Amino acid sequence: MTDPTPAAPAAGDTADTADTADTARIIDQGYRSYDGPRSGLPGAMRSVVRFSVRHTLGLGRSARHKILPWLAVVIALVPAVVFVGLAVVLDIDMIADEILPDYHEYYDFIGFALLFYCGIVVPDILVADRRNGMLQMYLSTPLQRWSYLLSKGLAVGLTLAVLTVGPVLFLLVARTIEGSGPGGLTEWITVFVRIIAGGVAISAAFSAASLAAASLTDRRVFATIGVVALLWGSGGLTVALVDVADMSERLYAFDLGGIADELKNRIYGVEGLDPFGDPEVPEGESLPGAGRAHLSTLFVVAANCAWVALGSAVVWWRYRRLALSR
Amino acid sequence: MDEAVPETQAAVSDGASQPYARPVTIVETQALTQRFGPTVALDALDLEMQPGVTGLVGANGAGKTTLLNAMLGLRIPTSGSVTVMGFDPQKAGHRLRAMVGFAPERNVLPDEMRAVDFVRHLAEVQGLPRGEARNRASDSLWLVGLGEERTRTLGTMSTGQRQRVKLAQAIASDPKLVLLDEPTDGLDPVQRSEMLTLIGQISRDFSMSVVLSSHVLEEVERICDHVVALDAGRLVACGPIGDLIGAGDGITLELVDVAEPAGSVEAVESALRSGGLDVQRTETTLRLRGADFDELCDRARDAVATAGARVRRLETRRRTLEDLFEDAPR
Repeated sequence: MTDPTPAAPAAGDTADTADTADTARIIDQGYRSYDGPRSGLPGAMRSVVRFSVRHTLGLGRSARHKILPWLAVVIALVPAVVFVGLAVVLDIDMIADEILPDYHEYYDFIGFALLFYCGIVVPDILVADRRNGMLQMYLSTPLQRWSYLLSKGLAVGLTLAVLTVGPVLFLLVARTIEGSGPGGLTEWITVFVRIIAGGVAISAAFSAASLAAASLTDRRVFATIGVVALLWGSGGLTVALVDVADMSERLYAFDLGGIADELKNRIYGVEGLDPFGDPEVPEGESLPGAGRAHLSTLFVVAANCAWVALGSAVVWWRYRRLALSR
Repeated sequence: MDEAVPETQAAVSDGASQPYARPVTIVETQALTQRFGPTVALDALDLEMQPGVTGLVGANGAGKTTLLNAMLGLRIPTSGSVTVMGFDPQKAGHRLRAMVGFAPERNVLPDEMRAVDFVRHLAEVQGLPRGEARNRASDSLWLVGLGEERTRTLGTMSTGQRQRVKLAQAIASDPKLVLLDEPTDGLDPVQRSEMLTLIGQISRDFSMSVVLSSHVLEEVERICDHVVALDAGRLVACGPIGDLIGAGDGITLELVDVAEPAGSVEAVESALRSGGLDVQRTETTLRLRGADFDELCDRARDAVATAGARVRRLETRRRTLEDLFEDAPR
């Protein structure tokens, strides 16, 4: 559809007519050549990150694709809403202090949502591209394998951060409004930075592990089993080896969930377990995983970095070998 | 007034007063070899492709898709080299692919995505700004005849529509070169004809070079300016289609198989062979080569008269792509 083409002004036409002709333009030219700017590799990566985040969260997709990711978000967020609601309704500072978990303690409530999200939602971000032909389409653009994978990793990390940072930030804001938040701007900023850093640390380790599992199989169910085995299995096995078989506490490095949680605790200035509600433990016994307190912070950081590096290496190894077609 | 020089040609001075234009090679391979274990998918290919529509023909398994993948830098050649528009796909793949549109053979697309979202997203990944990608996605889909269908999900589209969507995404970013891997695969004759017309239009109207792979020789003969013919990874022929096919290639003489005189067909064949002609016989049909048209007709007439045979058909034979493969050394 085009605007009527204006007639060329005849000699002696008024200035108004000439102006109209100068400013007239075709509204819809149909397919045409393009010689404008192109964003190259950075633009391609931005586009994949944005698309993948939306895809993972089910945005712009049918309702059934929204259920699982948003269920995970709700599972992570509901306890914070309930705690804050109770504290506000009761309106008693002392009870509020008792009811509301500390910021680092809130991760106890996020654990299941994280497992659910990493096991069921995250694998789709890689598996779907391999199954529906998008991977070959992507790699025929300026994207290379490494930039494609980096974009996908960033997308997973960002969506995971919705779970690991979002609810705790909500808690911080709610406590601040309610009056039991950090005292003073400096302390508030410190808590804020800890929330971001703790969330990012957990997101990084869990993203790498989930993507590694997702890269090894084209079946989502196997990827889910792999993620659950990594997150739960590694914890159970490590606790059994260290707490039951009394082996070296350095083996806690193989407990992905535990070592990521320990790094988060160190970021909050807490060493070892500090579960919400302080469960009673019989005299002479300790909670499973309590020995993590004896690990040095450097060891904890290195172990987390190793998990991220290992997960990334597995993904890269798999994608370097991946044949698109003959 | 100076003649406009096409974008795909370079004006070169030969030192004389008149500049001339010569074609720029868009793809060049030198001893390009690709092995998959013991299988040789590409066997020391030396070829050049010029601007325009190039048909990449060969049977299934001839190496067409492998060559396209090598041109995109998706596979590291076992040996040899490939250059596309001056770029080495292995060293500057991302810069090259920003200028290349690609529609793969594989017909698996994300079923739940709307056509317009699919095309827009890949246009963005190709480097277009978001607003421009949105507009051009719609424009491309209108161009390929899917304007009214652009909001449908890919899973609800027919094979023909999905092939058109793949073509739309390949051209949405206005690439210099478009690689189409079996774009008519799975289409009925009418859809096939429409798709070929569309591809020709895209190359002609928007100055895009197109490399089109196909195992259907008639398609390539219909719309391509150049041909690269592959057979089991080896190069059979490469060059302008006008140089390779279409020229008179002998005559076809079909005889009536009659009982009396017996053996007349054999007698005609024998007489022509003894006259030094190249004779290929298929039942009662003789393909004659080895002399110009008039002489072939005269000799055929004489041989038929001598043997007492009867002629059912005598016609000029036009060289086809099929002949390229039949004549290729095995």
